[in-house]
Amino acid sequence: MKAETHKVARLHAMLWGIFSLGGMIAAFLLPVLIYMTAIAYPYSLWPFNGARDPSFLVTGHLLGALFIFVTIAGSLYHGIFRFQSALTEVGLLKYRRALEAVGYFIIFVGIIALAYYLVTWYLNGTIT
Amino acid sequence: MSQDIATIRVTRYRPEKDAKPFFQEYKVPYRHDMVVLDALNYIKAEIDGSLTYRWSCRMGVCGSCGANIDGEPKLTCASFLHDFKGRTITVEPMTNFPVIKDLVVDMEDFMEKLVKIKPWIIREKETPPEQGEYKQSAQELERYSQFSSCINCMLCYAACPIYGLNEKFLGPAATALAYRYIEDSRDQGKDVRFPVVHEMEGVWECTLVGECSVVCPKGVDPMLAIQKTKILGATNAIKSLLMPRGGH
Amino acid sequence: MEDNKRYPELRRRLSPGWWTANRHYTMYMVREWTSLFVALYSLIFIYGLSLWAMGSRADFLSFLKNPAIVGFSLIALVFTMYHAATWFYLLGAIAPVKIGRSRTKPWQALVLNLILLVIISYLAIWLLVLR
Repeated sequence: MKAETHKVARLHAMLWGIFSLGGMIAAFLLPVLIYMTAIAYPYSLWPFNGARDPSFLVTGHLLGALFIFVTIAGSLYHGIFRFQSALTEVGLLKYRRALEAVGYFIIFVGIIALAYYLVTWYLNGTIT
Repeated sequence: MSQDIATIRVTRYRPEKDAKPFFQEYKVPYRHDMVVLDALNYIKAEIDGSLTYRWSCRMGVCGSCGANIDGEPKLTCASFLHDFKGRTITVEPMTNFPVIKDLVVDMEDFMEKLVKIKPWIIREKETPPEQGEYKQSAQELERYSQFSSCINCMLCYAACPIYGLNEKFLGPAATALAYRYIEDSRDQGKDVRFPVVHEMEGVWECTLVGECSVVCPKGVDPMLAIQKTKILGATNAIKSLLMPRGGH
Repeated sequence: MEDNKRYPELRRRLSPGWWTANRHYTMYMVREWTSLFVALYSLIFIYGLSLWAMGSRADFLSFLKNPAIVGFSLIALVFTMYHAATWFYLLGAIAPVKIGRSRTKPWQALVLNLILLVIISYLAIWLLVLR
């Protein structure tokens, strides 16, 4: 039993490490992405005050697609991980296992979908 | 001549008499240099000998006199009456601990955790005294010295909502002390302590509320110790993944 | 030791509203709940990309211009910035840097990292959109 909890704890340590990385990503990369898609483009502000639009992030360069993947995947992981923990602190502690299961499922589906779209676009030449 | 009076509202709970705790108010002569412990001692000596509470050194080094004063975990010997608004002060037992009587809480849980992290120097082989002392530089001392200031007053546990929600959480003081020994260059007990701090109810429960470090009367900063232990745990886990036979 | 358990100890548990007790706890809860908006924005973004994948690029672009999406995203941006600021402050609290005999304070880490955020944001736009 002790060895088993040790393995689970080791897994949790790595999951926490990814969560921390996600926090860095959400702090440093997410603001500019939201700015580009929700302020610059809808209100025609720099850098989308000309011909380009946010889809250029995907089609313009592989780096753009990577940026979107890292930013969205990292933020999704961090957000779900932390929100699930916040829910356990407002009286839902006894549903912790269920919350974790739902949380990781959403993370998994989200990241798989994101990766699928980007890889498909890379393969069919949408991403240059 | 009118005398300045302070009103102390204290939680009373006598399990053999009361089904529930209640507040009792006492009027205490107020002096500017009084601390809450002085007021409690006055009550016990002059008004109500049945009032029960812990105290010892009355100067903030023994860690006995923790209580919730006006809602905040504080040492009664270190809380001046003049620091609080108005002349009515509420004194309750420290949050998150079971109450034995009045202001006295059950410390068993913390005691078990303290023993679990083995708060002593662990050596693979003890060298005999004739071979001299274990030498430590000033820089090596600095890596852990703030965490050795802990007086086990448990105010950090009273402040920590995670501990309040989950009693199994190892908690601030125990982790800070474990880290104090992990970082001590004379200690060789990482293999023994790591499993304790890195188990599920070890450091991983902590979500950086940070209140533990706010209330600590000795500046231990247990939140910092917990975070550094998490980082040690994460890097350890990655190391063991990449080097299954190597590692620490 | 069993003798003094003759009378029941008073067991007190935190209520789900514990975080309203003082300002520190309340600010902590606000900080943690910024994660909801970070997660939701990410999911909504992925949904927007799915409109493109199953339809056309124009579907994605009109999704971005949808007033409800813009409104939510602006709120998400406010909470994301709050996450960033509190994250930078925490970095300063848990990783102080020694300079000579003194240590850096958390607010210094906050300022430094906010400047870094502006630089990184500009670099991202320059590298990914303008080149």
